[in-house]
Amino acid sequence: MALRLIAGAGLWIAAALVVGGLLLSALFRDYVVRSFDAHLTVLLESLIAVTEIDEEGRLVLTRPIGEPRFDQVYSGWYWQISAGNEILLQSRSLWDQTLPRGLSPDGEFDGPVSRSDIRGPEGLSLRAVARTISLPGSADRFRYQVAADDREIGDEMRAFNEALTWSLSALGFGLLAAVFIQVRYGLRPLRRVGAGIAAIRSGQATRLEGSFPSEINPLSDEINVLLEHNAAVVERARAHVSNLAHALKTPLSILTNDADRATGPFADTVQRQVGVMRRQVDHYLARARTAATSELLGARTAVPPVVNDLCRTLGRMYPGRNIQVDLSERRALQFRGERQDLEEMLGNLLDNACKWAKSQVRLTVFLKSGYLVFKIEDDGPGLADDQRAAVFRRGKRLDETVPGNGLGLAIVREIAELYNGEVALERAPMGGLCALLVLPPAESAPAARA
Amino acid sequence: MRLLVVEDDSSLAGQLMRALQEAGYAVDLASDGEEGLFLGETEPYDAVVLDLGLPVIDGLTVLDRWRRAGRAMPVLVLTARDRWSEKVAGFDAGADDYVAKPFRMEEVLARVRALIRRAAGHASAELVCGPLAIDTRSARVTVDGAAIRLTAQEYRLLSYLMHHQGRIVSRTELTEHIYDQDFDRDSNTIEVFVGRLRKKLGVNLISTARGLGYRMTSPGAES
Repeated sequence: MALRLIAGAGLWIAAALVVGGLLLSALFRDYVVRSFDAHLTVLLESLIAVTEIDEEGRLVLTRPIGEPRFDQVYSGWYWQISAGNEILLQSRSLWDQTLPRGLSPDGEFDGPVSRSDIRGPEGLSLRAVARTISLPGSADRFRYQVAADDREIGDEMRAFNEALTWSLSALGFGLLAAVFIQVRYGLRPLRRVGAGIAAIRSGQATRLEGSFPSEINPLSDEINVLLEHNAAVVERARAHVSNLAHALKTPLSILTNDADRATGPFADTVQRQVGVMRRQVDHYLARARTAATSELLGARTAVPPVVNDLCRTLGRMYPGRNIQVDLSERRALQFRGERQDLEEMLGNLLDNACKWAKSQVRLTVFLKSGYLVFKIEDDGPGLADDQRAAVFRRGKRLDETVPGNGLGLAIVREIAELYNGEVALERAPMGGLCALLVLPPAESAPAARA
Repeated sequence: MRLLVVEDDSSLAGQLMRALQEAGYAVDLASDGEEGLFLGETEPYDAVVLDLGLPVIDGLTVLDRWRRAGRAMPVLVLTARDRWSEKVAGFDAGADDYVAKPFRMEEVLARVRALIRRAAGHASAELVCGPLAIDTRSARVTVDGAAIRLTAQEYRLLSYLMHHQGRIVSRTELTEHIYDQDFDRDSNTIEVFVGRLRKKLGVNLISTARGLGYRMTSPGAES
């Protein structure tokens, strides 16, 4: 678009400058010719003024004309006075030549100055002015002619045209530059719109931000409305998936429990297929959740309220467990992300710890190397080294006797990775399992704190 | 032991009722939040199984209103929504335990048993009174290790007395806790059950507090 605008403007500028240049050149030529003629006319008038008829009736010059080029042979500047076919006087510069007497020597008496282009000595093209007058003391009509080499006009025209070409070219380039700048500047809001849309696509923004010129505003408003509509449609679809998944849970419970009561291959098939459906439901719920999370930007969550809520709830779910919380850092710890994601990760890890602990569960939250670290330890049986990797697999349950759907740790890892965090399992000093959840804090970028 | 099940899905409600009845409980059913709220406020239940997604009044509101009205019976919440924020909200509204759908019936039974036991202040699933022991998980009753066969109503009566050992339990209270609301109640039948229980157990652990009711005490702890 910028190229098209610039090319179009360039064509117009070039055409306008060429036409303007030709016009100026023609006008200037006209002016130069006229002032040249005026100069010649002045000389003609001076010539007339310095001639008179003497007592013998001859035409004589009373004094020289103040123009040295008339005395220089073939200088290109000539004058000549004739009467009829007889040359009476002529400038020294003519030497042995004469000026063609040209136009109507019998023309009007005391007529106006006539102008013409004639051929002079050495075939030079001359500009000539002439006048036919009568003088007191003579009955003759005298034709006064003053001519000069018109190369002077050409020289002036050339110099002028050269200057004109240079200045018009400079003007043209200047205009083109101005157009270029104007187009670039004028189209800048459009480029900002483009950059804004790119940011939306890459997930750094959710809408077109910033103020645009009034011509672009309708566009940016429409884009934002479109984005909101889009988000609403996605949100609705996600809610439908979630509702569908939740709605399926009741029938799945019914099928499981009926199949539990029955025996035989049919009951086994139902039980197996219900298991498959459960995993699907959980999978799509987790997908809907992670899709919702990936769109959230700039969310921050204070850690202590989440920890308090979860520990209060878990304390009621597992009345026999002592959950010890150590929020060692005095400052307000913040997680850079959504509250429900932190709840989900921490809740699942604490739930696991409570499920397996004999009596003690300890949660320690601290900042280390610029990351927010949650350490969850229990005094339960723990896991063997080879089992620790296996538990992260979706649907993997190491002990089928303890209720659960085997998704807990897989969900924790999935959400943690979404936030560029990680979860690891170790052996706890208390004897059981120690889960380490590492997440970005909200205060500043991890790199800056390392 | 008498339970209330508040569940709008009739199939699931039927399964819950059957499983709980088979486990020896008297069970009332409410199929929407309003009915559940009313029954929970007016009837003395030993535990409630409450679905959160209910028509008319949602489960969390029902639970919250019971707790505000001072109803302290243990409540097991059933829900398809198993996010932690929802669990926190459920427990904060006064739930005592939580089972996420889809669930297996044993899980619900185990949690109901644990809730009733905890509410009565017992740590173990096995309740003991002198030579008499009942295992609430299997509804097995033994005297000196020998199994005793009881009918469902006999078991409920014995279980209620065992859960509330040392306390005088009135005939009305027993009636309320061993029959569901649709049963034709007659407190005279309680005397018959107590007589039969004394005979079947062979040891005299149930004493009669004249005009007040019955009390279960182990022989060594007579007071």
